[in-house]
Amino acid sequence: MVGGVPLAAKAAAAVLVAACVTFMLVPLAVVVASSFSASEFLVFPPRGFSLRWYEEILGSREYTGAAWTSLRLAAVVTALSLLIGTAVAIALVRGRIPGTRTLVALFLSPLVLPTIIFGIGLLMVFSHYGDGPSFTALAVGHVVVTLPYVVRTVAAVLEGADPSVEEAARTMGANAWQRYWHVVIPQCRAGMLAGAFFAFNISFDEAVIALFLRVPGSETLPLTIYSKLEFSPDPSVAAASSVLIGLTVLLVVLMERALGIQSLTR
Amino acid sequence: MTRFSLIAVAGALALAAGVAQGKEQLVVNSFGGAYEKVHRELVITPFEQLHDVEVVMVTAYSADTLAQLRAQKGNPKFDVVHFSGGLEATAAAEGLLAPIAASELSNYAQMYPYAVRNLDKGEGPAYSAAVIGILYDTEKVNPAPSSWRDLSRPEFAGHVVLTDISNNWGLLSFLMMNRVAGGSLDDIGPGLAEVKRILPGATVVSKSPEIQQAFAQSDAWIAPYAQDYAFTLTKAGLPVRFVQPREGAAFSPITVNLVAGTKQRELAVKFIDFSLRAEASAGWAETFRYSPTNKAAKLSPEAAAGVISSEQAAQQLTSFDPIAIGNNRSAWTDQWNRAIAK
Amino acid sequence: MSRRESWLLLTPGLALLVLAFFFPVAHLLVRSVVAGDLGGEWTLTGEHYARFFVDGYYLSVVERTLRLSLIITVACVLFGFPIAYLMVHGGPRLRFWLIVVTILPLMTSVVVRTFGWLVILGRGGLLATVLDGLGLAGRSFTLMHTETGIVLAMVQVLLPFMALTVAGVMHGIDPRLGEAARTMGCGFFGVLRHVVVPLSIPGIVSGSLLVFALSISSFITPGLVGGVRLPVLASSIYQQVLGTLDWPFAAAQSVLLLLAAFAVIAPYAALVRRRDLAA
Repeated sequence: MVGGVPLAAKAAAAVLVAACVTFMLVPLAVVVASSFSASEFLVFPPRGFSLRWYEEILGSREYTGAAWTSLRLAAVVTALSLLIGTAVAIALVRGRIPGTRTLVALFLSPLVLPTIIFGIGLLMVFSHYGDGPSFTALAVGHVVVTLPYVVRTVAAVLEGADPSVEEAARTMGANAWQRYWHVVIPQCRAGMLAGAFFAFNISFDEAVIALFLRVPGSETLPLTIYSKLEFSPDPSVAAASSVLIGLTVLLVVLMERALGIQSLTR
Repeated sequence: MTRFSLIAVAGALALAAGVAQGKEQLVVNSFGGAYEKVHRELVITPFEQLHDVEVVMVTAYSADTLAQLRAQKGNPKFDVVHFSGGLEATAAAEGLLAPIAASELSNYAQMYPYAVRNLDKGEGPAYSAAVIGILYDTEKVNPAPSSWRDLSRPEFAGHVVLTDISNNWGLLSFLMMNRVAGGSLDDIGPGLAEVKRILPGATVVSKSPEIQQAFAQSDAWIAPYAQDYAFTLTKAGLPVRFVQPREGAAFSPITVNLVAGTKQRELAVKFIDFSLRAEASAGWAETFRYSPTNKAAKLSPEAAAGVISSEQAAQQLTSFDPIAIGNNRSAWTDQWNRAIAK
Repeated sequence: MSRRESWLLLTPGLALLVLAFFFPVAHLLVRSVVAGDLGGEWTLTGEHYARFFVDGYYLSVVERTLRLSLIITVACVLFGFPIAYLMVHGGPRLRFWLIVVTILPLMTSVVVRTFGWLVILGRGGLLATVLDGLGLAGRSFTLMHTETGIVLAMVQVLLPFMALTVAGVMHGIDPRLGEAARTMGCGFFGVLRHVVVPLSIPGIVSGSLLVFALSISSFITPGLVGGVRLPVLASSIYQQVLGTLDWPFAAAQSVLLLLAAFAVIAPYAALVRRRDLAA
């Protein structure tokens, strides 16, 4: 298609790309740049260069504790979401169930509902029937919002896989366990990996449900950053935020290596 | 992949089980930023070392903390809460706080009477106190302001910072402005009218760091707020000074309270007693110009000149009825939001 | 696969969805129309909704919310479409980097991205410094506490959703259609107008709906950038839930938020469907 593109459009595209890159990345770059500031306050451009704020967050129980909470949460959520979501995707793609289309819509519905409404609903339910906000409540909430991603990525991969292999295994007398272990799950592999990427990343970075279900004293990293941002915006907030950005970059690179960048846009 | 997922699941379950925490924990709130740093130095860290426990600090202003306590009623996540602006009276009346006996506090005898007024009702003792008046930039505002009404002087338009009433210092400032304008706790109409007059030339912020930004980036000249924050700004190198307007300044004890139903009562009471020490009281005065509530606090001459340190002086400042504030707060917030929304 | 096996695989997911998703949402709906204690005495009531309409305040909040969300959505379409086009039709390197540029912010916590905007938009921030350097505005220029600031930050937060959704649909357009149009004498813009844009409409629609839904329910970015004087509906809900603890009123506002969303989305979706049928 490149041949017929007029010069004006090409120039416009170049300008657009430049503007887009700047617009999208500058907010992140600004955060990273501020984190190396030597001054006491958040100023831009940052004054001096130092790693003192990284030292500070590594020595701060608030940040390390919050990072640990977030890591535990994301790990639990990823594992559960992967387990439940993969099973659902297999049933939706391979199973013979009436109303599959409705079920698919049902499982993707948490994507459509505003998170604030879901978060408040969860808070009300856990306060009314239980002990209020807790780690468990938050994990449940995150599994619900990450589940559609796992279902979608696994189902997409499974749809492209050959169902006759499973049939063959069945006719050759493989029991259910062998069938899943040696055939179906390996067929889901790429989708599970992509799903795990989304689940982990979303759970680690999510702030809305976490805000409603926060437990004083054991908050997640995005929430700690949020309250620091409001109460004491010094460069340590930038350092903690940079760590989050770094983690995202790392995950994206890992995914790129494992499945190629295109897998993330499905 | 299969091995990967097995390891992931096993690892996640191990994580979920959680690594057992060794030390006893106490969960408390503090007010963020520089305040929290000093709080840690004066009270938290020495307490942790003395008793070999861990104190977890949650950043939340008084009103938010009260909301959390209400939401957690029956199953509190906090053990000790710090309140300003009289919220301890509301919380105690709702049964969210537990009374402490005078005999449980080794520092009791050294405290000013106003600081340990309602222990039996559940209101915790005051470990310091703040004065709310007017902050101004000495280079821009000359002569110094002397009245709450100066906030609406036309020459300050575009340079006034007001604080949202979700912040207690903002609320007390507003109540002072309201009173001077002819209002009362039953009628905040005059105060709102005054605020509306100022609004076109004012910025409204909700957290104290924003006041610092406003003054530091040189467009804010004058703001009703607390004395301690003026000192914070001075320490940051800004030409800011605090003044008590001639109509009076508001006085607000800052209390440390025992949460009803805490599983750590004994440790929590020790923490409260520890917060009242003369050294801590003096430390708050030296670092932030908070007024000491412990009579035995030894102050440097500069600090002593800048704080309220007698029962009598405290009486002369304006104290609002905390119960009335508690009852009206949500209605006021409603009216305030309507008044300030663009 | 037997039917029993399928249901066995589905059950944990279904149970989770019903108990932890539909039930909380239903609970919220019930809360909005009930007075009293759900565990004990209660009656049906419309009082929580009535409070919303006592004066013009909440209506003005809704008006701001919808207006800003529409602006944000339109801006996302205008910028998202060309980006999606380049993502699909650009060279492999360009494509790779465009995906990285959209994915990276998308995957970064909204709190972190908003923080970046605070540093950029504030007084003496990056924007003020740049404009000062160009002689366009003073150092004290700021977009904090303005609607423009909210829109800028929100567009950055939501643009990736639009670009990726549109790119997904555009990817499925048969390239032969473009070639056919060209052989019939269409230029670049002709192909764009007669082939690419019409066939991308489903992507633009679902992208817009997504962006719109996300923007009317955001409160972290509008709250931090816009401040207390520019309340949006979601920040008012947040205030009721965690500040004044007025949960029934918060529930009523949530339902109204959903209704407002449907009110805007439904005609839009219907319009497009009719267009599709006509074509």
